[in-house]
Amino acid sequence: MKQLPKEFYDTMEQLQAVDFVLVDLTLYLDTHPDDYEAINQFNQFARERKRLKKIIEGTYGPLMQFGNSYSGYPWNWDDAPWPWQL
Amino acid sequence: MSAYRRVYYPYYSPFDPCPPIKAKMYSVPPNLFLGYQPPNLPQFTPMQALRTGTLWKVFYDPWYSPYETPREGDPT
Repeated sequence: MKQLPKEFYDTMEQLQAVDFVLVDLTLYLDTHPDDYEAINQFNQFARERKRLKKIIEGTYGPLMQFGNSYSGYPWNWDDAPWPWQL
Repeated sequence: MSAYRRVYYPYYSPFDPCPPIKAKMYSVPPNLFLGYQPPNLPQFTPMQALRTGTLWKVFYDPWYSPYETPREGDPT
């Protein structure tokens, strides 16, 4: 089975970092609804995550299902490697 | 020794079969002292935040056992 390129792992790590920041900011904003800078930062990272997702899905395939990601042809969301196999 | 550790000295009997643990440490995490989090606290970079487990520097509180030397670069 083809091995994934190294850049893929770097991009995926960036995606993980951005996801972590988004989770932390979401928890913070739940209790600080009117923190303007934090909301700006959240939107910046949301945009960054979209960009990273487009890069990854271009080479790797859909990350999520049920319409959260575009599908390749043929239907490839259940191809290896799965997230725990990366 | 991190600022977020406190020590207590349990009683031990002279007839205990095993050698006593004279001092026991417990963690007092930074969020106890912060209460309502003020806005615009200094933050880690995303990559660092992934490693340290928190986005804000003030909450970083790694747990090292007394016998383990903390890694470099980690604030105690």
